[in-house]
Amino acid sequence: MEKERDSLAARLVSGEHSAANELVDAYYRQIYLFMRRMGHNRQTSEDLTQDCFLRAWNHIDQLKNTRALSSWIYSIAANISRSYWRRHKREENIDDFKLVLAVAGTNGIQQAQELEQLKRLMTSVEMLPLKFRETVVLHYMQKLSIADASEAAGIREGTFKSRLNKALRMLKKQMAL
Amino acid sequence: MQQEKIEKLLNDLSNRTEEPVNQNLAYQIKQHIPDALSAHRSGLRTFRIIIDLRVGKLVTAAAIIATLILCTAILNRSDTSSSLLEDGKFLLNYVFGTSKTSAGLNGDISIDGKQVVYYGDNIDWKDPNALLMHWKVSDGQYRVMFSNSRSELVTADELIKLQAGMLQKKGK
Repeated sequence: MEKERDSLAARLVSGEHSAANELVDAYYRQIYLFMRRMGHNRQTSEDLTQDCFLRAWNHIDQLKNTRALSSWIYSIAANISRSYWRRHKREENIDDFKLVLAVAGTNGIQQAQELEQLKRLMTSVEMLPLKFRETVVLHYMQKLSIADASEAAGIREGTFKSRLNKALRMLKKQMAL
Repeated sequence: MQQEKIEKLLNDLSNRTEEPVNQNLAYQIKQHIPDALSAHRSGLRTFRIIIDLRVGKLVTAAAIIATLILCTAILNRSDTSSSLLEDGKFLLNYVFGTSKTSAGLNGDISIDGKQVVYYGDNIDWKDPNALLMHWKVSDGQYRVMFSNSRSELVTADELIKLQAGMLQKKGK
């Protein structure tokens, strides 16, 4: 998988058009969900996802073979999301940005409790300040490694880890209420 | 609640949140992939003009200036007689007219990621309907620019007619 991504990165750097198509197929859902998890509504998330790829085409020179493709595309996405929130503060419709929780199997009591916990956690994540929310979303929701997530967030690994720990403590506190 | 439990719940949350993604999104994104995807580009937010001439930095710089001047003139159509446009024409003629190509610079310039075909070294600048350049906008549609800075959207057939007209005039 990693080799495939390295190869895709190399093809993008060499200007191969089909590689750009593959990049879109591989990442558009992830970037869209990242935007949603960062609190943007559906339409804005679609627009920002498009912006992310438009910027990617113009910043291919920043993509090095040695650099993870994920951290590169996510760093663009994170920058776009951050600058959107800087411009719009919290104007989004809060009802619109809750992702749907999938309910698996039968509705046992335990499952209902789990679902309730997840709903509370989702609300707690949404209430985190943006920079903490970003660390949680990149690492836990988008499944980026600490190294890739910190690069995407544009901060050092140590800073990212401490920010993540602080976010977890905040969530723990909120969930204990 | 333990921190490990929070981490486990966050992982669960990631796996159990879902939302259908607009099926057209990928298509829309792919529509904006530039024809000439390149790691060596110089972009402007409005025009995203990319000049990739392989004839030296000075000529590239001049081409960027010339294209910018021409684009500025297109936006300000009431000013078509201005010295700005004249300077743009002069620079374009100088830059492209002295290049080693004789039939235009197909593929050497791209505007907004589109390959531009330039006819400047073959046209009569006094003819306001002379075709200066064209680039593909979408399937079967082309944006053409005339020597008087007028710009139109034409079909492939119309473009062929314009090109044929130019050849006829040149033959006379």
